[in-house]
Amino acid sequence: MSDTAAVRALRTMDLIPYILEHPGISINQLSKNFAVTEKEIEKDLQLAFMCGLPGYTPYELIDLTYEDGVVSIIDPQVLNKPRSFSSNERVVIALGLEILKNINSSNDDNLKKIENLSKKFMDEESGDSVMIVEQNLTFPFLNIINQAVFETRVIVFDYQSISKDVLSNRKVAPYKLFLQNGNLYLSGYDYHAQSDRIFKADQIVNCAIGGQANLGQANSPQKEETVELIVDLKAVNFIERNSTIIIDQKMRNGQLHVKLKVSNFDWLKRAILSNAPSIKVISPQSLASEVEQMASDLISAYSGLSKNVG
Amino acid sequence: MERMFERDKDDLRNLGIRIEVRGLDPLFEDDQGYLIDSDTHQISPDNFSKEDILLLTMAANLWHGSALQQDSKAALLKIQSLDGLVATNTVTSPVVEDNEDSKKLLLIFDAVERAISLEFEYKGTIRQVKPYGIYTRRGFWYLAAQEKEVVKSFKVVRIGQQIKAISKAHGFVKSPEFKLPTFIGDMNAPSTSKAEIRIRKNQALALRKRYEVIEVDAEWDKVFIDYNFEEDLIESLLWYGSNLVVISPKTIRDQIITRVKGLVHV
Repeated sequence: MSDTAAVRALRTMDLIPYILEHPGISINQLSKNFAVTEKEIEKDLQLAFMCGLPGYTPYELIDLTYEDGVVSIIDPQVLNKPRSFSSNERVVIALGLEILKNINSSNDDNLKKIENLSKKFMDEESGDSVMIVEQNLTFPFLNIINQAVFETRVIVFDYQSISKDVLSNRKVAPYKLFLQNGNLYLSGYDYHAQSDRIFKADQIVNCAIGGQANLGQANSPQKEETVELIVDLKAVNFIERNSTIIIDQKMRNGQLHVKLKVSNFDWLKRAILSNAPSIKVISPQSLASEVEQMASDLISAYSGLSKNVG
Repeated sequence: MERMFERDKDDLRNLGIRIEVRGLDPLFEDDQGYLIDSDTHQISPDNFSKEDILLLTMAANLWHGSALQQDSKAALLKIQSLDGLVATNTVTSPVVEDNEDSKKLLLIFDAVERAISLEFEYKGTIRQVKPYGIYTRRGFWYLAAQEKEVVKSFKVVRIGQQIKAISKAHGFVKSPEFKLPTFIGDMNAPSTSKAEIRIRKNQALALRKRYEVIEVDAEWDKVFIDYNFEEDLIESLLWYGSNLVVISPKTIRDQIITRVKGLVHV
């Protein structure tokens, strides 16, 4: 279905200031950035040619050059600035600035800049009343990782694995930083493990940038196995927190029968123990046995220590 | 043709563009024309420094992996139209990898911003609320909203997909006594309880980083942990398995043993 005249008009209003800031941009690139066909872009530019201010002589019309598949604006008339942000766009940016504030909370300089921008961006009234991101996302190595991703270099850091409870040195070709369930994570290729890994950012220490990354082995996902659990509704947090790895869930007799794809079994064992006794393992049997062993060890630790303390 | 023209004008108005009808030619005052005043619908680049544009880019980029991707892309195109060089040279920034909650979040955030009352399903019943604010706690988003006379927290992930606006913008006035930081502060009241914990040597490293560790003997060390909520404490302590033992309070110690026994005879 073709766009309505209003949609076309709005896109054209967005195109002109965009091209003005990107002189000589190709039609192909514009079509990718604006997510429409090259033909649509060409039609929009033809429309722009015929637009202008009252008087409508060539002096009052938008003027642009379009040759060999590239375009530049000569005279944008009044379309020299982008349209105001829509309410959805404002929300996206406002939420983003709040998150950036948290990530940069250990860097006073950056924090001040983001806070000032946030005040400028949001209305006076809404700025102080809307939201607080409560959890601590502070990450002092943001710039190092950004630089490493941008320049395709490795990073070297000490990592405190909370699922294995060990501190180890890692050499990683970073892919990206991402936020999930309120935590900041780094994904990348771990040279020692020879596969992709995900690291919880707040457990990274002493991070330094290293040499050029060889991404020949990149995108080597960790092996995953299907696990079947019965989850009591008391542990619904577990389901809500891990919805991205759940592949199937059914309610039977007031309990959730859940199938999930898991690559980190150390994490899963600890998560099951944390939610005891609300999560039971159906399969694989080896996981069920290991969880039971962990539970037995814990009970032994309590009885052993109570004798000593008592 | 005229109907189409009227429809297109309405479309533009619905998209927030103000269209004025007035005389445009000083010599022919009777000649009426349509005018969109650029100041009413354009962003002024003078309001933003190069550094601001970089930060706006990072803020919009955050949502590239989420359900808000479309809005973030649209915002990004406008930011890149403020200063193409700054925005295009921006290095990578974190991205939010979220589920459909982002979509709900967007609706709720907009309702908070514009004081729109909402109706949604929550824990099996239909609720009508005045949304006051949103906040996060332990990785989950919450809506602070007034239901009848009480301000309550609603976990966003548990709010049904169908969220309906039941008032126009500015349809209610937020209680002047409500302050989000105070509301959250009351829930996160200063810790009143303390637990005594034994940690096995060289284990529970993440916990050791956060508390003062006192040596007890060759096998165990000791830490004291302040806490508000028993449930949260039990969940976080069980994570460390047999490398951590609660000495006091006895209620928590007993609960841990009882809960873990439930896993042994599966």
